[in-house]
Order: sequence, then C-alpha cells, then structure tokens
Amino acid sequence: MPNIAVFIEQRDGQIKRVAWQMMQRAREIVDAAGGEVWAVLLGEADAAEAGAHGAHKLFTASGDHFARYNSEAWSAAMAAFCGAHAPDLVLMGSTALGKDLGPRLAAKLDCACVSDATGLDFDGGFKIRRPVYAGKCYTDLTFSSSTAVVGVRPNAFTLGDGGGGAVAAEAFDPGLDGFAPKATVAEIQAAAAGRIELTEAERIVSGGRGIKEADNYKLIEETAAALGAASGASRAIVDAGWVDHSHQVGQTGKTVSPNLYVAAGISGAIQHLAGMSSSKCIVAINKDANAPIFKAADYGIVADLFQVLPAFKEAVEALD
Amino acid sequence: MKIAVCVKQVPDSETRLTLSGPASELDTSGFTWVLNPYDAFAVEEAVQIKERLGDDTEITAVTIGPDRVMESVKKDCLAVGCDKAVRVDEAALEGAEPMQIAKVLAAVLKRDCYDLVLAGKQAIDDDAGQVPVMLAEYLDCGHAAVVNKLEIADGAFTATREIEGGAEIVTGALPAVITCQKGLNEPRLPSLPNIMKAGAKPQETLTCADLGIEVPAAASTIVNYEPPAPRAACRIVENDDPAEAARELVQLLRNEAKVI
Repeated sequence: MPNIAVFIEQRDGQIKRVAWQMMQRAREIVDAAGGEVWAVLLGEADAAEAGAHGAHKLFTASGDHFARYNSEAWSAAMAAFCGAHAPDLVLMGSTALGKDLGPRLAAKLDCACVSDATGLDFDGGFKIRRPVYAGKCYTDLTFSSSTAVVGVRPNAFTLGDGGGGAVAAEAFDPGLDGFAPKATVAEIQAAAAGRIELTEAERIVSGGRGIKEADNYKLIEETAAALGAASGASRAIVDAGWVDHSHQVGQTGKTVSPNLYVAAGISGAIQHLAGMSSSKCIVAINKDANAPIFKAADYGIVADLFQVLPAFKEAVEALD
Repeated sequence: MKIAVCVKQVPDSETRLTLSGPASELDTSGFTWVLNPYDAFAVEEAVQIKERLGDDTEITAVTIGPDRVMESVKKDCLAVGCDKAVRVDEAALEGAEPMQIAKVLAAVLKRDCYDLVLAGKQAIDDDAGQVPVMLAEYLDCGHAAVVNKLEIADGAFTATREIEGGAEIVTGALPAVITCQKGLNEPRLPSLPNIMKAGAKPQETLTCADLGIEVPAAASTIVNYEPPAPRAACRIVENDDPAEAARELVQLLRNEAKVI
C-alpha cells in the first residue's frame, strides 16, 4: 500500500499546475493499490483544492525560509517531512525549482532520483518511464531504495476529476531553526510580462531558418499570440543570434510536449525533433516537401511560411 | 584559486538510436562520442575566470569513464586551457545512475579541495541534470544551477539562473558548485598546436579503491529501453492557395485534432 507524497510547488503563493496533474496520477495509483496521497506545501499558498485533486492529507510548513525558494533549506524541510512520514514515493514537478530541489533531497535521503518522468505505474513496486536523449528513446526504471524522488514533467499527466474530498491542513516541523543556507536567491527578475514559458505551454509556435532574418521572428510571435502559445526557435536561428537561447527547442535547448506544436520554416534536424517529438499534435509548414520535419508531423502545408502564417493567424483569430 | 570542471563524454546530438522495439540495453556501438555540449560552457567559463584573475589559478578537468573519454578531455578541456585532468576509470560505473557518479566525483573533489566546481547543466544523453546538485550536497556547499551569467569576486559568487518566466540571482560564498547553461559564454575552439600539446599536460587515472571508497551501489535500475511510439503519416493540406490551405488547417486543428 504505497503512500505518495506530492510536493506542491508555489512561487509567491501561486501554485504550479503540474502539482495537480501528478496528484491526479498519484490518486489513481493509490485508489487501485491502497495507500494515501499526501500533499506537501512549503510556504504560504492556498492549497485548499489539494483535496479535490486527490490528496488524502495536506501537510504544510511555514516560516521565513519559505518566502523565497532556497535549495538547501527546502530540501532539508522535505527531508524532515520524509523522515517523519516515510512516503514510498515523492513526486515534484520537473520545473526549474523541482530540478534544483529534487537531487539535493535525494542525496539527503540517499534514495533513487529520477528527472522528467512522463509515466508512473505501480504493480507491487513503482515503475517510472522517462525520456532520454531528449526523447529519442524512453526508459523504464525501478528502484530498490525505500523511497524515491521523482520529478514529473509538466503536462505529462492530465487533470481529471481527482476524486478526493476536502482536506484539513496539518502543520509539520521543517526543522530549520537556526538554519543558514550557504547560497541564497538575492533577487528574482521577471521576464517580459505575459510571456508563456515553453516547458509549460500547451501550444507552441516555433520558427527556423525559413523566417530568413531576425526581424521576421515577430511573425512567429504574432502567430503564437493569436493561439495563446509560447514562441520557440530552432538551434540555427538561436546560434545566428536572431532569438534568445531561452526560446530554443531541441536536444541542446528545451524539451517540450505541448498539445500543439507548429514548426514554421524548420527543416527538422534530428536534435530539434528530439526536443519536440513527444508533442501531441505537430504541424509543419515548410517550402521543402522533403524536409524531415514532415516525417514527424501530423499535419503539413508545403508552402512559403510568409504566405501561410498570416492567413493561419487570421483564421485562428476568427475562431469563436 | 583551484577550479574543477566536471565533464562527461556523450554521443553527438546528431546520433540516431537504432532501437526498433523494447530492449534491455542500448546499442552504443555506432556512437560518435563528443564532450557534452553544456560542459563546454563550464570549461570556457573556468578558462575565462583564470584569464580574468591573471594569477596562478589552476583548472582541473574531472571525468569518469573508459579510455575513450580522454580524447574529448584532451581536445576540449586540456587544449583550450585546463591545466590537468583526473579520470576515474571503473568498469562498474558504465551506465551508472547520477547519484553513483556524484558520490565518486565528490570523493575526487574532497581529496583535492577546490574553490569552485563548474559543470554543464545536464548531459545530453541521460538528460538527468542531477549530478552537480547532488555534488553540492555531498560537498556541503552552495550551488546555483542552469546559470547563464556568473561573477566571481572576493571568495563569493553571483549567478543568474534561468527559471520559468524570469531569472533568479543567486549569491553565496565559495566553495560552490555552478552548472552552466547555453548563453553563459561562447566556447573557444582548440587550435591544432594546442591539441598536439594537450597530451603532455598531467593526466591522472584513478579507481574507486585509489580514492578509498567502494564503488557506490545503484538505487535504480533501467529495466527497459523503448523507441517513441511511431507517428501516423503526415496529412498534407493540399491547396494551390497557401492562405486557403492555412484556413483548412485551422479547421482540421479545431474539428479533427481538437487542439485549438
């Protein structure tokens, strides 16, 4: 009967959706196998909906250490929780925060650590699926330690009806009295307002060398805006300096799995395909009918993107 | 200052995997091995720090793996400014999980005491991104991960790290572990004369026994490798008028794929 702890990631009181996505999966597993789902929140946020998403219990710790993320303090707090409650599995989002927190926690617990999980099953023991080589291949892992810290990729699991009821918050002692971290976050700089993060986006529009020059990237951004999508880029135009690296999709950029990925003017180098091929629906727009991107795509238009995207954008805006 | 750069040799990003169905192992025989691209940013950063300080700062490339990894270490570490290399050669660590690697690296780094440890933000083969953060825990020091701007001064660091929707400015005292993201710098290419001379720089090969530790045990096991599910053939929206094709596409995405 596995008990699964789900870390509720919050920044400035805002809870990341991935928390509820993995809670849904955790609930499905314990509904079949027995056990409980434990939501764990560090800091101040309204996590009342944890119950509705499937948590049996909500554990919270508060204090100055949780006003802003700190790897050392937060991993110590999570280790204190695990020491007190001994969950059989700890799930957290494979986000910037989760990827920073998970390995420290696993090192403290001396247990298995898995990043970017896209699948989770239980049959007497846990089996975790994750992509390697940026998605060119998947691996299934089991572990022999008494618990494991598993980072779950955003959007890997979909929200359902959860199945839980209301839960009351129960405070736990994070054991941080007098704790002084060796490194701290001194400041947080926000990117331009309204920008959607690639790794969390449900839709992405990406541009490649087919946009011809840096100025034309705005066509990609405008199309993305019409779709409520994030804007991505191929390595070629990042290396050319047309777009910041934070937009790069591929094996040396971001690995993404949105519901819709539109690749405009991207030929489809293997390292780009690796980063986006797990997207649910892929659209390719390219002049070259032989471009490898069409082999990865569900829908394609063989034409100049400058003739396609403006009409595409207009048609999207005309949708109700 | 003593700087360690932890590096890994990985298959080139153009590498195709030949898996056609579920398998218990990956066929690595056709791989072209290169230095992990993110580790190149760590190497370059170390060299730039040494150049800026202009003192007797010493850079050590630390790696784990068989003989072949030294090709990458010589060409992409020693030939571009690292002063020496330490390699742990332990057959039992082939395919090891990140925690085993972090434990062995920690043993090397504790033996030699470094002020700054640099590494790539992740390796592009297993994509775990765990080793340097675990290393910071084992070395009992601070860290900043996925860094695209770094300043080192007066025994402290200030690092800009990428997060969703912005950046965190992380500060802390040295020693510290920093993991490097693209954008931090532009790695230089080795010159032919420097590649020729790289072989003469000190290179130490160790086993776990030399470090006074047992080979760490794995907590996880990969039980299956599987290729991604094949995709259905692409449906090309045919229309002589690209704008009309675009409108048809939008209808398909709404009514058939149901993604918009």
